[in-house]
Amino acid sequence: MSPILDVKNLTKQFGSFTAVNDISFFIQEGEVLGLLGPNGAGKTTTIQMLLGVMEQTKGEVSYFNKSFKNHREEILKQVNYSSTYISLPWLFTVSEILECFARLYEIPDKQKRIDKLLKEFEIEDVKKKQFFMLSAGEKTRVLLVKAFLNYPRVLLLDEPTASLDPEIAIKVREFLKKEKQAYNVSMLFTSHNMSEVEEMCDRIIILDHGKIIDEDTPEKLANKITECKISLTISKDTKKAISFLEKQNLLFTQDRFIFTVPIREKRIAEFLTILSKENITYEEISIDKPNLEDYFLTVIGEKHD
Amino acid sequence: MINFNRVFAMILRYTYGMFHSFDKLSDMFYWPAMDIIMWGLTGLYFIRNNNNPSQLLFVVITGLIFWIVVWRTQYEITTNMLAEIWDKNIVNIFVSPLKISEWIVAFMIFGFIKTLLSLAFSAIVAFILYQLNIFIYGFYLLPLIASLILTGWVAGFFVTGFLIRYGQNIQTLAWAGVYLIAPFSAIYYSVTILPVWAQKVALFIPTSYIFEGFREILFTGNLSYDKLLISFGLNFIYLIIAIWFFVFMFHKSRKIGLGRLI
Repeated sequence: MSPILDVKNLTKQFGSFTAVNDISFFIQEGEVLGLLGPNGAGKTTTIQMLLGVMEQTKGEVSYFNKSFKNHREEILKQVNYSSTYISLPWLFTVSEILECFARLYEIPDKQKRIDKLLKEFEIEDVKKKQFFMLSAGEKTRVLLVKAFLNYPRVLLLDEPTASLDPEIAIKVREFLKKEKQAYNVSMLFTSHNMSEVEEMCDRIIILDHGKIIDEDTPEKLANKITECKISLTISKDTKKAISFLEKQNLLFTQDRFIFTVPIREKRIAEFLTILSKENITYEEISIDKPNLEDYFLTVIGEKHD
Repeated sequence: MINFNRVFAMILRYTYGMFHSFDKLSDMFYWPAMDIIMWGLTGLYFIRNNNNPSQLLFVVITGLIFWIVVWRTQYEITTNMLAEIWDKNIVNIFVSPLKISEWIVAFMIFGFIKTLLSLAFSAIVAFILYQLNIFIYGFYLLPLIASLILTGWVAGFFVTGFLIRYGQNIQTLAWAGVYLIAPFSAIYYSVTILPVWAQKVALFIPTSYIFEGFREILFTGNLSYDKLLISFGLNFIYLIIAIWFFVFMFHKSRKIGLGRLI
């Protein structure tokens, strides 16, 4: 199956500074690809080039097997974008804004589409309000309505839930997942919320200093961190516990009665068995498996050390 | 008690603001210079033609009304483009299928309609307040106004080219840009009032032929078609160059990213 978005050797240079350095990747139909990286990694520059609002120094971008450079108009009819960093005409009412964009995208039955999306994002009541009067969450949702107006096959979302409260962010994620399933929408997704990326993305690309430094599914990336964290609440035998952990050469931390021990997953059983043999009793135990955030912090931390 | 340390801190803040803003710097020098040049030349013209004061009033009012056509046409293009930057909406419109040629046509049509409305309003106000009827120019009005609109488009696209490349830092051009040609356009006075070097510059300014044309009709009842033809010829050449320049600057801006404008 040929990819719906194919990026080859994309490079952006500003004078002697290389913001994006020879990156290649693809998105399959219905796939959500996460683009992660620290600030200044080149995520927004990449997205801008994929949308044609910034010209690349080198490289090719194709959507639906067609060169973006040669089929811009045809491609953009089927692509859309939303970002925390953009806005919409402040003095216009939501209805006026959406009507203008519906016309730009030549949406048939405009009003029906607008009403449907406003309802799905639970903002029907803001239709007659001016954009500047909306809350941050409402503004983000209007931007997302704009992004869905043209039934996009590819959606580029640059931190779409950054300004939303958790409840609305959940709803937005649910809507995105629903749209993806119903219409097989492909998405490129950037966010600093790692749990959101884990939840949303089928595959993740890690960018740093304009280069792809890793690429895999969220689970496989997280599994690259082999250490888990065991937290034990030991209130009776604390001295014994400290002596035991020191003897085992484990880099533990202690917060009153709670001991946190980083340990490889396959050594957990062995560790607990020895603990029991030593007659050290614990009242509570929790095991935190490594997640994407641990992986991200480790990889980016190593790169920047 | 006033704390002068804090007063000084605020003066320093506005001084830094002035040096970082082309708008604020240009306001200090550009407008005073323009006013002195324009009204000085107009005064000179009045002194040399003081035998018919009512006609002079008509010259000033029609000059003002028809300069509004040029200014308004360029203003609509430049401020509508700036509005996209102010609204942080420019990326939204260029990730849509909109082509730059479509954007240009939209600017021209919208500017044309608003200019006509402004012109109609100004004509009514001039008639009510001064009993001046601009329709005394008869059918000459149509080509003369058409040529002024063309000049407005030329100025609009030149200025918008700079705005899309350099953004809000130079936004004062959106209002002031076209005034660069105002002294040479001989809006309220004859071209002959200008210094010789400026008369030579005026030869290349399409509006100078139009405003001379208005006065010619007013004083003689006729219009020399040469003036009209030269004005149209210059305008068409300049319009092609202005649109090319705008598109060129748009692509230059796209190289460093339209997203930076917001």
